[in-house]
Amino acid sequence: MENTSLAHHLILAGLLFVLGLTGVLMRRNLLVVYMCLELMLAAATLALVAFSRFNRTMDGAVLVFFVITVAAAEVAVGLALIVALFRKRGTVQSDALTTLRD
Amino acid sequence: MPDGLFIFFAALTLGAALLLVLSRNAVTSAMGMILALVGVAADFFLLDAYFLGVLQVLVYAGAVMVLFLFIIMLLDTEDATGAYPWKTAALGLATFFLLAAGVLWLFHWSGAVSTVKAGTTPPELSVNPAEFTTAAKSFGRLLYTKYLLPLEIAGFLLLVALVGVVSLSKDNPESNA
Amino acid sequence: MPSDLSSLVHWILFLPLGAAALSALFLRRAGGLAAWLSTSVAFAIAGLSLKLLTSATADVTWHVELAKFGGVSLGFGYLIDANARLMLFVVSFVAAWIHLFSVGYMKEDPARGRFFAGLSIFMFSILGIVVADNLLMTFIYWELVGFSSYMLIAHYFDKDYAAAASKKAFIVNRVGDLGFILGIAMCLSLYGTLDFAALKDHAAAAKTIPVAVGALLMCGFLGKSAQFPLHVWLTDAMAGPTPVSALIHAATMVAAGVYFMARVSFLLAPEVLHFIAISGAGMAALAGLCALAQTDIKKSLAYSTLAHLGIMGCAIGLGHPELALMHMAMHAFFKATLFLGAGSVIHGCHHEQDMLKMGGLLKKMPLTAATFIAATLSNCAVPFLAGWYSKDAIIEAAYHGDHIAIFAFLSLAALATCLYSGRMIRLVFLGEANSEEASHAHESPWTMTLPLVVLGLVYSVAGGFLAHTIIPAGSLQPIEHALGEVAFHLTAPSTIVGLLSLVVGFFGALKFYGSVRGADALQVVSPRTYHILEYRWMDGLYLWYVDSVQRRLAEFVAFLDLLIINGVAVRWIGGGVPAVLGYLTGRSFHRGQTRAYALWIVLGSLFLAWFLIAR
Repeated sequence: MENTSLAHHLILAGLLFVLGLTGVLMRRNLLVVYMCLELMLAAATLALVAFSRFNRTMDGAVLVFFVITVAAAEVAVGLALIVALFRKRGTVQSDALTTLRD
Repeated sequence: MPDGLFIFFAALTLGAALLLVLSRNAVTSAMGMILALVGVAADFFLLDAYFLGVLQVLVYAGAVMVLFLFIIMLLDTEDATGAYPWKTAALGLATFFLLAAGVLWLFHWSGAVSTVKAGTTPPELSVNPAEFTTAAKSFGRLLYTKYLLPLEIAGFLLLVALVGVVSLSKDNPESNA
Repeated sequence: MPSDLSSLVHWILFLPLGAAALSALFLRRAGGLAAWLSTSVAFAIAGLSLKLLTSATADVTWHVELAKFGGVSLGFGYLIDANARLMLFVVSFVAAWIHLFSVGYMKEDPARGRFFAGLSIFMFSILGIVVADNLLMTFIYWELVGFSSYMLIAHYFDKDYAAAASKKAFIVNRVGDLGFILGIAMCLSLYGTLDFAALKDHAAAAKTIPVAVGALLMCGFLGKSAQFPLHVWLTDAMAGPTPVSALIHAATMVAAGVYFMARVSFLLAPEVLHFIAISGAGMAALAGLCALAQTDIKKSLAYSTLAHLGIMGCAIGLGHPELALMHMAMHAFFKATLFLGAGSVIHGCHHEQDMLKMGGLLKKMPLTAATFIAATLSNCAVPFLAGWYSKDAIIEAAYHGDHIAIFAFLSLAALATCLYSGRMIRLVFLGEANSEEASHAHESPWTMTLPLVVLGLVYSVAGGFLAHTIIPAGSLQPIEHALGEVAFHLTAPSTIVGLLSLVVGFFGALKFYGSVRGADALQVVSPRTYHILEYRWMDGLYLWYVDSVQRRLAEFVAFLDLLIINGVAVRWIGGGVPAVLGYLTGRSFHRGQTRAYALWIVLGSLFLAWFLIAR
């Protein structure tokens, strides 16, 4: 890709991140919120790969490797939590989960 | 003007992400997520990170999203009825546009980020010990030398997650009162 | 050909592991099959070890690096010098016959599969200690040995005393191993390597070795070889099946500590050596006397083992590790025979272990009696029997080393040995049967008597001579050199002491214990002395320490935890911060809405980003 610069990739990553963030703020279904969180992680990995490529060092790319590993573990635990929550409360809508307020 | 492929995949990624955020149906959201992740993987390919691109498709778009779909269908969650409260919608839109403007300003107009094209390499960085390569082999070399300890910790983390998930999904009669 | 021999070592080391895995995974219900699998493997490795012993002329080394952290390389490898070859042979040979003995002894046990899997995993671990070429590998196998010992002591885990004894053995060994691993860490930080060969070079290059290195490494030895003050577990460990007592707690595992000390003897500072010598000699005398106050035949033998371990430790302390190893080898043979003989007696008397209830077994169990008596004579160091060569050589070394106290202790130990040996023979084999069981005793089957005959008659009696004929000069050279060093001959003081104590002790005991029937003569004559010897002083001390010192401390720490961590830190902060914030903001921070929290997080991180960029 001769014609893209670091800025192009960073803008893409940034927009993706902001989209994910908006989803986290707006959506009420915990599963969708969780997917938006994963999208934010993916945006961060995109930025890391771009930095890695343009600084000509492998360190960022290796960090992405770890992010993917941690994200996989996190998804497993998070989904288990959501399932446990659903079993107990019968819903995954975040608005319904307000026990902590009182 | 950037490359055509980049524009195509960037548009695909952002459009799919929009679908994820806006769709009412959780399954559609998941489909949008898969598409967005494939778009990110394609961008990895454009950045010469072939190994990571393959990994992204295999782990994220493959394993993780199948898990998501499985849970969505297992729980069979009701879709939220009715429109978004206008406060929520306004908050979301405001956040999005403000932050998107911030991103564009920071990475484009502020001039803080180098706009050097990929074809030209800064000479002073070409002697990095961990020289950027496209070979999966160099990942292995780095993972087992410089990043050995993080690798071990990541492995341990996976184990902990495994144990945690098992204990979470156990039906505990005492705590389920 | 070194490469050939190292592949031989692969077979020796991994055959028992394979047998253990096979038995543990597939043969738990097929006990008979597991027994024969384990036994044939034991004989195979005994044969391989013999081949290694007779064909190796130089050290066998083999090493593969497993990982490298910084400048520290951790690996897996073999360093098989003359000592290791001898140890390999002794361990595998004794073990093979004990396996055969177990086939008969455990015939009616429902958990035979588990038992033989345990024996095989023990073989794997002990052989690992013998061949290891670095401290880390030694430590790993060291712990594996501890684990298999725990498994086998707790074989009758539904009996409370066996479960308690296995726990005791494990915990006491942990105390020693803590010192051991600290010693390893110290070696690593001082010399940057864990390989024995490299450590030896460093030690040779350095003028003085820090006392702490040797002292810490010695802790492992104190635990595993049941040396004072960590000796308390060995007598309780007799709760396991008798073959286990013979194999692990008499012949091999406890000797592993001695072997290890000999292997790292170049790391021991003179102060450490002196301590080992004094405590070993004192221990030998004390344990020998304590053996007089036990009525359980196995516990009495356990004290005898303690005494001999003390003698071996003393030899290392005196600077003659080769002599210690030689005594280890001889002791392995005759003590295994003694324990197996005891097992045969117990088996014959329908699981009666009280010596006072036995008697007159010489006629009922002639083979067992003959081998037991032969091994006992070896134990007493009758001239030209196996025990005589090594034990008197050590006493001689003490005399020549100008350690009068040590010499006196060892002489006392020799006398005590003869006393308890005579007592044992008198009570068990001579006189009249003292109970119903003993009068109906019967000779054991061939699987039990054959090992007794082989180990007992051949090795206890002729071990010294056979050692010269079977084993090439190269393998035994260090030992012969050590023997020459102490100027060993028939008119030496040690021989005079040995013969004197033999005559006085052995025949005195035979006469003394013949005077009272159905009870212990010493208990009748002087109950107070008997009680002093029987009472377990160190156990009492540990109990007092744990109960009144350690538990008080633990309770105090738990109280602090409750007061400071739980009370002040968690409750006050956990309750105080939201209260203050809630008061200040009128509860606008916590509305119970996840999205509101997310928004606060976004604002916070934006603020942080602005702060970092604008700075």
